[in-house]
Parts: sequence; structure tokens; C-alpha cells
Amino acid sequence: MLRPLVLVVSAIIACAAGAWAQSRYGKVDRRDPIFLRFPEMADRYWVNTETMAASHKAVAVPLPRQCAFVYADAYTRGAMSEREVQDTALSNCNRKLAELGPLGDNYSVGCQCKVVISDESYAVPRDTMPDQAYGPVSIFYRDDRGNVARLNGVARYGALIGRDRSVTFSVDNPRAEQVCDGTFTNDGVNAGRFSLNCFGGKFSGNGTYLTKFGAPNDHIIGRGQTGRGQPIVMVIGLPSQLAIGTYGAI
Amino acid sequence: MRGLSFLVAILLPVTALAQSAGEVERCFQTPGACSSGGGAATPAPQQPAAVPRAAPQPDYTTVLNSPEADRRKLQESLRTLDKYNGPIDGNMQSDATAKGIGDWQRGHNAPVTGKLTPGEAVALNNEAARAPIKRIDPTSQAAAAPAPAPAPPSQSNGDALKALQARLAERRKAAEPRADAAVRSLVGDLKAYVAADGKGAAGEQFAGFAKWYAENKTAGRTVGEIAPAIDDYGDAKSGAAVTSELLIESRKGTASQSHCLVFAWIEGTPRKSAQAFSCDDVAGVEKWKSDQSLRSAWR
Repeated sequence: MLRPLVLVVSAIIACAAGAWAQSRYGKVDRRDPIFLRFPEMADRYWVNTETMAASHKAVAVPLPRQCAFVYADAYTRGAMSEREVQDTALSNCNRKLAELGPLGDNYSVGCQCKVVISDESYAVPRDTMPDQAYGPVSIFYRDDRGNVARLNGVARYGALIGRDRSVTFSVDNPRAEQVCDGTFTNDGVNAGRFSLNCFGGKFSGNGTYLTKFGAPNDHIIGRGQTGRGQPIVMVIGLPSQLAIGTYGAI
Repeated sequence: MRGLSFLVAILLPVTALAQSAGEVERCFQTPGACSSGGGAATPAPQQPAAVPRAAPQPDYTTVLNSPEADRRKLQESLRTLDKYNGPIDGNMQSDATAKGIGDWQRGHNAPVTGKLTPGEAVALNNEAARAPIKRIDPTSQAAAAPAPAPAPPSQSNGDALKALQARLAERRKAAEPRADAAVRSLVGDLKAYVAADGKGAAGEQFAGFAKWYAENKTAGRTVGEIAPAIDDYGDAKSGAAVTSELLIESRKGTASQSHCLVFAWIEGTPRKSAQAFSCDDVAGVEKWKSDQSLRSAWR
């Protein structure tokens, strides 16, 4: 007699705990780094009248934070439940990650998609969210004998390129050791100049960059040369194999 | 003695930059072995660059006969360093180019020949490569903040970057009181406009905000909290320019929404060139700043 009652109470407690767990990480804000990092998603989440008013909204990104260079957002269609919207976002994030190819050349950590925002609240602790912009980076350099170096790691930058006049960035190798830093200087919408400085100034160069949007993923492509005139190409936002296939021929 | 120092100075970058792809890859994987004075710069026994430098006669023909792209690059480097203002045509023997090279050589206490050796060419390009970082720092800031001395030519990009970041932070700190006051004043005017049910200077100055307010009023929504954040601040051609991102809450019953608008104006009474943008209209805001010739003290 008591057993069904206990089960019902347990289920209610579990549901309440789940809801509390999601809301206890705080409400989302339009100016949070995740929305600054992905302006198109911010548009759907906060501005677009078709999506912003959806009864359920979910965002999934790969974690840990340095992996968050792709995202997937989902909005209620018809009578979808919050859980179904979350599953859609998670599934789309996993699909995008799989389409971009392996990340092992850039990351030594495993990148896994997680639902990070559900409706108006964070679904993971705020301190696990990306607080800067991150992305896989590949740097190609051809020396004066024609040999090509391919350097893969992770780039991070502290603000929106294109919005701030000057944005500093750094490059970590796959062992998370910082090896390079540099600046992007905005000259116009989605374009400008960059400078790169590695190994304490022993390898450096500068050039121009462009931000490219859309398939296979939003990315930055920088082309320039070292002080001695040897070409450098830097790609941020594409895993190494995709970067090599697209821009590796320098 | 000083000439010898210069020779050493210009030869060092040659060895430093004459890195093989393999060395660069090794440094990337083990940066500790490269950034402390060894690494990629030193282990280059097969690098031939240092040997021909010992020749007694300066080699000017290599640069003169180098590919046009390289010669243009050198002219661009001279231009970057404000030593040359002529065409980028690859003509290294034009009067303007020779004068620019001579000025640069004079600045390094080198023999003023108006022609470049390969080592000087590398040093020139190397120096110009660091210039964009230096040029971000507006000269007008020198008086406003106790900025450290200009970076010496031997300073690395990393050091220059740190110095730049420190100067930018000081510059922003100095601008904060005025920027805060300007934004507080705007928020006060917006609240007054709302309190007066759509009447007041704020609506006349910011037509976009007046339109937004009218739409919400028609929809039966009331205006709640206004949360400002300074987007940019600095001197413009006609006064101090401010751009501020405001999150404005609107309510209907128990439901509330946040709307994000960027307000841009030139300080004055009344405000000049005032305009309100959607926060997503990044290009519009940036164009406004360009039109006003805004020199940022904020970023």
C-alpha cells in the first residue's frame, strides 16, 4: 500500500530537484560571454520574434570551455517538451562536432557536447562556461627551404573580433602550454590585421585576417609573413584536418 | 664600437628568424626549450646565413635584385615606420626610397648609404612588424598617463603587448568617471522620458528609442529596469563620444522581456549626433564611430 505512494513522492522529489538543479546556476543574460561569442544564436535567443518567444529554448556546446567553438540551439516546435528541445540541441551539437572531424590534434581533452542553457537558465555551473572565445587553431609556416610546419593547438581571445578595435589572443599547444600571443586589429567589418609572436619573440609575423561565416564552421583565416618574408597562415575555428585541407597549401 | 653593436643587432634577427619548419614545430611542442634564450634561435648549425655576413664588402645588390614583392615590402616597412611616404612600386633606388632608408640607417647609427644590406632589410622588416602594436597607442595619451618609455627596438612583441595592455588599462581608468557620468545622465533622461509618458529630450534625441517606447506602449507593455554598460568612450571630431549598451526591461503582466539597444551620442547640451541602434547592429555602431572619428579611450 505504501510502496506506490513512496514511488510517487520520490518521482516528485526527483523532478523538483532536477528543476532546482537547472535553475540554481542562474539566469542567462544577453551580455553573457556565450551570447557575445555566438551573435547569430543571440539573435535567435533574444531578438528574432519567431524563436525568442518559444516556450522552451535550449543551447548545447562542447565542454570543457576551450572546446566551445561550435554550438547548437533549439526552440520549441509544436508541443515539444523542454526535454525534447534539450535533446534536439544536444543531438545537433554532436552532429556538428562529428562533421568537423577529429579534434585530437588540437586538444588533449575530450570535447563533449552538453546542454548548457535550458529556457532562461544555465544548466551547468557558470564557472564551467566559456568566459572567453576559444577555438582550435592551426598555424602553417613555410621556411626558406620550402618545408612546411603545421602547428595545431587552441586559441583564445578575450573579446569580439570586429567589435573591439584591438583584440589580443593567445595560442596554447595541445599540452595547454601557452606558446604564442598576438593581436587582431580591426580595420573594417570582419577584417583587419594580425600580429603573432611565439616562443618569447623568436618566431613572429604579421598579416591580414578575414572572418568567414557559415559552413563548415565560422572561422578566422589570417595570412601573413614572418619578418624574413616567409609565409604564415593561421586558421582559428576549424579542427586541424579541416584547416589543412582548406588552407594547408601555402 | 656603436657600429659593431648595430651589426650584431641586425645579425641577431637574421639567425632568430632563419628558422626551419622542423625547429618551429619542435619549439611549439616544447616551448620551454625555446623561449629561454636557446631553442630555435641557437641550434642552427646548418644555417648558412651567418657565414656570408662576414664578407668585408657590404652586399647591396641582393636587396636591389630581390623580387619585386620583397622590395615593395621594404617600402611598406619604411612607410610603417614613417620614413617613407612615396609610392609602393618596388623601386629601391628612387630618391624618396633612398632618403627613407638613409633616415632609418641614421636612426640606428649605421652608415647612411641609402641602400640596404640583406641584414638591414631583415632588421627593417622586423622592426616594422612590431610597429602595429606601437601605433595603437595614441600619442595623445602620453600626457594623460604616466606611460612607460617607448619600447626600445630590442623589446620583444610579447613585452610590447604587455606594455600596451597596461597603457590601455590606465587610459580607460582615466576615462571612466566622465564615461560613467555621461551614461548616468542618459539613463536619467530615459527614465524621465518614460515617467512623462513619452515626452522629453531623450525621445527627441533618440528617435529609435522613442519608436521602441511607442511600440511597447501600444502593446500594453511598461518599461522596467534600465541596465547600462559602457561600450566605448573617447574623443571625436566634435566632442566626447559615448556609446552605451542598455538592457531595457519591458513588462506586461507577470511576463518581462529584455531589449538591448546601443545609444551613441556626442556629449553636449543637447546631445549631438544621437542615435540608437539594435545591439546586433554592430556594423551600424562601428560606422557611427568611424563617422564621428572616435578615438577610443576605452578599448
